[in-house]
This record gives sequence, structure tokens and C-alpha cells, in this order.
Amino acid sequence: MKHYLYLHAQSARSALLKILRQPFGNLLNLLMLAIALALPVSLYLGVSSLQQWTARLNTTPQITLFMELSSEQADLAAVESSLKHHPRVASFRFVHKDAALKELEQRSGLNAISEGLGSNPLPHAFIVTPQALEPAMLDLLQKELSGLPMVELAQFDAAWARKLHAMITLAGQLAWLLAVVFALAMVLINHNTIRMQILARQEEIAVSKLIGATDSFIRRPFLYHAAWQGGLSALLCWGLSSWLAYQANPALAEFASLYGIDAQLRSLQPLEVLAMLLGAMLLSMLGARLAADHHLRKSQPA
Amino acid sequence: MIRFDQVTKRYPGGHEALRNLSFTVESGEMVFLAGHSGAGKSTLLKLVSGIERATSGNVLVNNQNLSKLRASQLPYVRQHIGVVFQDHKILFDRTVFDNVMLPLDIIGFDRRDAQRRVRAALDKVGLAGKEKVMPIRLSGGEQQRLCIARAVVHRPSILLADEPSANLDRAYALDIMELFKSFHQVGVTVLISAHDETLMEDYGRRIIRLREGQFAA
Repeated sequence: MKHYLYLHAQSARSALLKILRQPFGNLLNLLMLAIALALPVSLYLGVSSLQQWTARLNTTPQITLFMELSSEQADLAAVESSLKHHPRVASFRFVHKDAALKELEQRSGLNAISEGLGSNPLPHAFIVTPQALEPAMLDLLQKELSGLPMVELAQFDAAWARKLHAMITLAGQLAWLLAVVFALAMVLINHNTIRMQILARQEEIAVSKLIGATDSFIRRPFLYHAAWQGGLSALLCWGLSSWLAYQANPALAEFASLYGIDAQLRSLQPLEVLAMLLGAMLLSMLGARLAADHHLRKSQPA
Repeated sequence: MIRFDQVTKRYPGGHEALRNLSFTVESGEMVFLAGHSGAGKSTLLKLVSGIERATSGNVLVNNQNLSKLRASQLPYVRQHIGVVFQDHKILFDRTVFDNVMLPLDIIGFDRRDAQRRVRAALDKVGLAGKEKVMPIRLSGGEQQRLCIARAVVHRPSILLADEPSANLDRAYALDIMELFKSFHQVGVTVLISAHDETLMEDYGRRIIRLREGQFAA
């Protein structure tokens, strides 16, 4: 067992030395892989940063029912009782038009609005929090509520937040889709580079097989080469994405401060780096394995 | 020990290289294989090393039936056999030393032990001073010796040589034969093919004569 590990360490070492012996050509290769990795990783980082900022926003939709100005106490009671018994309403809160005016005055700093206007132009309102529903059901609920007697308007408060949320979700899905595409690219790129190497060492492989090399012995150097290639390109990608975040952050912070948000593009967490490293290595090895198996099958018998 | 039991080898296309051949080479024996080119000598050696498979019949090498062995097991049989190939199959992209190292790498020898063995093998065939030389700079006879060093470095129990004396002048060919004899003397089973019988007759060993895939009368 110890000897077996020794042999593998030996293979790993000589594969690394082989890469280092041709630094320029291999660096180009690594950069190609790193950039292919950096695209989905950057998108992923962007999306997850956005999610962090928007998590603080209130995205549970609320529906505000504005009553008609002429509505009276009886109408309010009717609406209140139908809200109370509605199965899809989680909770609701009544805002008296006087309270609404007071709040408006406080917020805008214009204390004398009511004096200038003579009468209160604001309607009574109910702020309804629906039970968690799908968007289509929410639309239905909104329509239903706007049909209640003496209700002037039923308005979504958090419609924009919902839209933002949906867009972020879409971007997140796009990041995963891109990740899958580039994972495939990773396999193909490695398949190709390893295939070239195999062709260059065809004679050595043929002779090795003749004098007793097993398939796994023949595959081993190529698998290690691919593993190094994948691992090193993942590290390069980590550097690349950190550099991108570092470059983008000052501008982003300035932009976000206009909206009073403290926004920072986050960089990869240690666990994520590890996952990317392992993922890149495994995908590269898969590509190498496919290339090697193809060659070994082709060169049977012998 | 090598045993052929009613072995026939037919190549794709229908050419029958060996026909219903049966014989035994005992452990430690040295046997010559004679016949014109095309008589089936190379095919016979390829069957012993598992490079080719018999169409019918059984090929037993060290008590293993190669005809029934899975392809994935063949490499382990080959690791106990040394082959001197007719076309040498030397790798010209590496030094003499690294060429001889290859079988030990494949078997997975410890590095230091392997280096000692490579030097011993090169010393044995008379290439001791040429470790770091690239094979392209060796003479034909030296390349043959390099091939022999690679075939014996892992101390196989069976040594196969396909026309090792071809293209060599007689003095050099005799040198090579002496080398094979010395391996035989330390207990290795040796099977050598040649089309020039005069060289074999000097040694007084058993000669298997082939003609068109069968024993010649």
C-alpha cells in the first residue's frame, strides 16, 4: 500500500514537472481553462452578492386596498369582515385616513398640508398580507379584493421587489446553466489536450503495452497531468475572479451609496474555492480518461 | 514453461500462420526456432507474449492458459517475459538509461533499486559507459544490446528473441548468442528465432523447425 502511494506520488510529481518544463505553452492552456471557469464563477459571485443585498429588502408582497373617499363606517366594516374570513389573507392592518395624513406630514416634513387643503384628500386603506402564494394566485387575489364594495384600488406594494427577485433568480439559473456548459467545455478542452499528448507519445505507449504495461499504468500520467491542469486553472480562476471583484468594488460602492446600500462584490469562500478546485480537477480527469480510453480501445489488441 | 496444445492462428483475411501446433519448452530450457521468413516464427513468439491470441488451441505460459485469460490480465503475464523485438522498438526520445528503466517503471520498482538494476543490465550487455547517450548515436549492434538489456532488466523467467542476429556480422552475432546462453545458464527459459541455422547448430540445443506454420520434417 505504501509502495502504491509512492508510485502515485511519483507520477504526480513527474506530471507537474512536465507542465513546468514547458511553462509558456502550458500557461496559455491554463489561462484558457481559467477564463472558461471564471465566466460562470463571476456570474455566480455577482448573483449571490445581489442576493445578499436584496435579502434585506422586504419581498413579501402586500396588497394595499384604498377605499373610496366616500366610503363610510359600514363599508369599512364589510371589507374588514370579508378580509377576516378570506382564506388567503394571512393578516391585515387598517390605516385610517387621518393617520395616513399624519404620517405623510411627518415623512415629507410639510406640517401644514392639511391646513392648506382644507379637507383630508387621502382615503382609508387596508394593508393586506396574503399567505405565501404563487404570483398567478396573487394576481387573482388582487382582482378579487379590488372587487370588494367601495374599494377604489388594490395595489401591490412589493411588485418591484418581486420583479427584482425574479430577475435575480433567473440570473442565478443562468449562472448554473453557464456552469454546466463550461463544465462540458472543461471536459472537452482536456480531452483535446490529452489526446494531443497521447498522439505525441503513441510510440512509447505501444512499446509500454508490449512489455507489460497495464491500461491504468498508461492512463496514469495523463490523468495526473489533467488533474494538475484542472487544479492550477481553478487557482488561476480564483485569482482572476478576486481581481475582478477588487477592480469593480470601488465603482460599485459609489453607485450603491447613491441608494444608501452598502454593496460589495463578495469573493469566493474557502469552501467554494475547494469545491471549484475539486470540480475542475475531476472534470479535467474525466476528459483525460475519455481520451485515454478511446486511444486504448483503438489500439487493441496488443 | 511454455506449452502449445493444438494451436492454430489464423489472421483476419484467412492467412493461417500456425496450424495445429503442439510442443513444450521446459523451464530453464534453451530452444531455437528455425524456418524461412513467413514460416510462423514471429507469430509463435507473439502468441507466447500474448501480443496475439490463438484462434484455437491452448497456449500455456508459466501454467497460465493465455487463451482463456482476460485481456486485462495479459500485462501481468508479459511482466514475467522479456522480449527482444525484431525491430528493437527502442524509444529514441530518451537516453539509453531511460529506455532500460521502462520495464521497471511499469512493474513499479523502487527508484533506487531500479537504478541499480538498470546499471547492472547495461553492464551485462556491454553498454556500461553509454547510460546518458541517446540511442540514435548507437551502432546497430549496440542498439540490439540495448534491446536485450531492456528485455532482461526485470529478470524475467522467459526470454524471447525474434531474429536477434539478423543484420549483424557473424562475430557480433556470436557475441549476442553467448549473451543469451549466459541468461540460460542462470535458469531463464530462452526461445530464440532465426532463419540462419548455421549459428544454432554450433550450440547443440533443440531446434524447432517451422515451415508454413507446421513442424518441418
